[in-house]
Amino acid sequence: MNPRKPYVRPISKTSWFMTQSRYKVYMLHEISSLFVAIYSAILIIGLVRLGEGEAAWQGWLDAVTSPIGVIFHLIAFVFALIHTTSWFKAVPQAMRIQRGEEIVPGKLIVGAHYGVLAAVSLFVLILAGVA
Amino acid sequence: MSERTIELEVLRYRPEQDQEPFFQTYKVPCEEEWVVLDALNYVKEEMDRTLSYRWSCHMFVCGSCGMMIDGEPKLACKAFLKDYPTGKIRVEPLSNFPIERDLVVVLDDFVEKLESVKPYIIPKEERTVEQGEYLQTPAQLKAFKQYTLCINCLCCYAVCPQYGLDESFVGPAALALAHRYNMDSRDLGRAARDDVVAAAEGIWHCSFVGACSQVCPKDVDPAGAIQQAKFAHGIDYLTSFLPGGKR
Amino acid sequence: MQVIEADVIIVGAGGAGLRTAIAVAEADPKLSIALLSKVYPMRSHTCAAEGGAAGVIKSNDNLEYHFHDTVSGGDWLTDQDAVDLFVNEIPKELLRMEHWGCPWSRETSGNVAVRPFGGMKIMRTWFAADKTGFHMLHTLFQTSIKYPSVKRFDEYYTVDLLTDDGACYGCTAIEMRTGQMRQFRGKAIVICSGGAGKIFPFTTNGAVKTGDGMAMAYRAGVPLKDMEFVQYHPTGLPGSGILLTEACRGEGGYLLNKDGYRYLQDYGLGPETPTPVLKAMELGPRDQLSQAFWHEQKKGRTIPTKWGDVVHLDLRHLGEKKIDERLPLIRELSAKYVDSDPVTTLVPVRPVVHYMMGGIHTDIHAATPLNGLYAAGECACVSINGANRLGSNSLGELLVFGARAGRGAAEYAKKGLTAPSERLDALAADSEARVKAWFQRTQATDRVPDLKKRLTTAMEDGCGIYRDEATIKAACDIIVDVRERFKNVALEDKSSVYNTDLYQTLEMDAMIEVAQTVAVSALERRESRGAHQRLDHVKRDDEAFLKHSMAHYNPNGEPRIDYLDVVITKSKPAERVYGARAGGQSAA
Repeated sequence: MNPRKPYVRPISKTSWFMTQSRYKVYMLHEISSLFVAIYSAILIIGLVRLGEGEAAWQGWLDAVTSPIGVIFHLIAFVFALIHTTSWFKAVPQAMRIQRGEEIVPGKLIVGAHYGVLAAVSLFVLILAGVA
Repeated sequence: MSERTIELEVLRYRPEQDQEPFFQTYKVPCEEEWVVLDALNYVKEEMDRTLSYRWSCHMFVCGSCGMMIDGEPKLACKAFLKDYPTGKIRVEPLSNFPIERDLVVVLDDFVEKLESVKPYIIPKEERTVEQGEYLQTPAQLKAFKQYTLCINCLCCYAVCPQYGLDESFVGPAALALAHRYNMDSRDLGRAARDDVVAAAEGIWHCSFVGACSQVCPKDVDPAGAIQQAKFAHGIDYLTSFLPGGKR
Repeated sequence: MQVIEADVIIVGAGGAGLRTAIAVAEADPKLSIALLSKVYPMRSHTCAAEGGAAGVIKSNDNLEYHFHDTVSGGDWLTDQDAVDLFVNEIPKELLRMEHWGCPWSRETSGNVAVRPFGGMKIMRTWFAADKTGFHMLHTLFQTSIKYPSVKRFDEYYTVDLLTDDGACYGCTAIEMRTGQMRQFRGKAIVICSGGAGKIFPFTTNGAVKTGDGMAMAYRAGVPLKDMEFVQYHPTGLPGSGILLTEACRGEGGYLLNKDGYRYLQDYGLGPETPTPVLKAMELGPRDQLSQAFWHEQKKGRTIPTKWGDVVHLDLRHLGEKKIDERLPLIRELSAKYVDSDPVTTLVPVRPVVHYMMGGIHTDIHAATPLNGLYAAGECACVSINGANRLGSNSLGELLVFGARAGRGAAEYAKKGLTAPSERLDALAADSEARVKAWFQRTQATDRVPDLKKRLTTAMEDGCGIYRDEATIKAACDIIVDVRERFKNVALEDKSSVYNTDLYQTLEMDAMIEVAQTVAVSALERRESRGAHQRLDHVKRDDEAFLKHSMAHYNPNGEPRIDYLDVVITKSKPAERVYGARAGGQSAA
């Protein structure tokens, strides 16, 4: 007779991510993409409205500058920041650059990403006439 | 001689008499310099002969003593008591694996996965001993060396939620090992490994939680290896649309 | 009892066992192979070997040099025909490892790099940073997966050999997760079960190294050869006994006493030089370095600590870059275990039991006197190590003689010799009864952990770096007493699934056998040679003892010792020369 009886510990399919803080951080990162997606969708709708004429465009502008619109954009901005920083942090793992016998330090790769982000942001702000 | 007494809470499970696991607490007189494994050995020798766990080298290289220590997967020989100032330490078998008994888990699934990724050189060109060694520069060695350091302790599987939720996932250590051979300048076996590696249960099952790399006691970075493999496959896919590309 | 049949059975899946399995599979893919091990292959203690594997490959080197280094390093107790083929076959074996993917450290040209090692006249030690054994083990394990004829039985504890009329036909082994015994029948059996460092209290060896295979062969009537030669490695971490590789000194590390003085120059190993010279100072042989420590201790020039006296290993002048590239594990282990980062701090070290030169008697084909039984690796004694093994010869040994054992066993298996199955069933039933007896005993007057402490302490006290008649006799007496008391232990754990109380008890059984052969062989060898140093017989005595000790099992008492001539072909016994006179190459 086989005396084995391996015990499988149950894992919750719906709340597993609450068991460790690193899983929560991961879920936060995953959720942040939702807000980035909604923000992008709003932006695309804006473009469509722009093509439909001035009234449509003004309606869209009114919607995004309404209190609800502003609150959403503030929240979306925070999530966009979370999304960006968490991705940038992970980049050196996915993008391993070797120069000769040396691996390019992760900090350099992350730094370069922030540099490009800053440059593009500045360019857009200048384009928008803010800066 | 003893300098400190700790409370070791150990998850016990004896399949022949227990319906489910339970915690048993041992008060262990410890030396300052000890690791958790030393405390377990004390229990085994002086307090309870029925406690079962795996261990051997006591120097972070055989990979036997991976277990959950205060909820984190660690090598018991690398978990120093001085890092647990409260004096209460909870020890459990590695998560995500069936418990065979006490701290011993069933490893069959992992071993099958390791074997499935063809973890051996599939050479570019057969070479005889008389022809001498393959030339491999230090830079070429560096390209895969990190991924050779895995000791199969399985801390990465214990912390991977994807593996915990769906054990069909090939998992971090096995995929990192496949990447190790794919990156070796002596090897041309990537296509042969792709049956398993590039399948849905392979690299694409990984959602880059990254926990595996955080807990790896040898800094192998399996998460990095998997993302790099995905990247390489992405490039392959895109270039397949170019003229002359293989689809 | 379930019967499992295979053409070749291999007991032990460390470096030697895996190499054997591959050799059998390559010799004839039709032969079925059962590879048994009490641990998963990657847990085997080969993984703890750090420094490297010696093999002649560079143009400034030649096989004769390696031959002479090995023979004189072993104080002429080596069999020279074995050493000859050993140095000849190693480079090919190491190249095979390269072809199988072993991540050897490289020169900028892409060729394999070599590093200096103790007792070697030329730099010839291939290495993979300071995890050479680990990489070799994983390379062999992963390569073995390629051969479908290799069927592994992971976590099977082998208990007894099945022998009949001067030949071996299999073994019994317990499947550890069910506790059920299986009968393995084979046409050839190879033991690759490793050494027995655990018969000492302070050792670099892992928990698995309890001499099981040695004891099994011994009980089956195969003599254990040269068991008194136990290697102390000069640099172990105090407390844990963790090994700090000889490569620390190969790369240029110093050994300092409490005055910061490189004391080895006082023991015929000088003069001191700032950069390493092969065969001199810190690159002398392990036996002499460990003995020098003992003398420093007697002179009061060591440093007392809670974990015993130590000297210091100084790596600071190597610099962080070199330490990280060549000795990363050493840095990690020192920092974690003794809180000393070698980049900035002196590391405390002391001699620690590391390796058994002796083992199961085999010929140069790895065959034992028992037909059908082979042995390779640390459990075996061919003998290429004689009275003192040179660092980086053991990884080579497990490849060369693992491969030879595999080829020999494959050839032998084709003869297809078997014993009557009723006979094997009866032997297996005896074996099972022997194990069951542990479960049935209820009244225990002694406990295994206590007896183990008593045994290992006796070994350290009686069979340490220096020995004499009185201390060895005292150890012998304690072993006899422990053996007697061991009959009165009972299992506290009577369960079937992964019962480690049972396996530790079976290991203790093996340790008693092996310890007794060490002590009695040491008592009978009334001379000093290599790692066997007698305070009451301080000179080497070639007249009486240029011979291998052969310990034969005696069911009624202590082992019977007789002697076997050493094979000498071209190197007549002479003085071992180290230091300036040895003419070693500069390793700067």
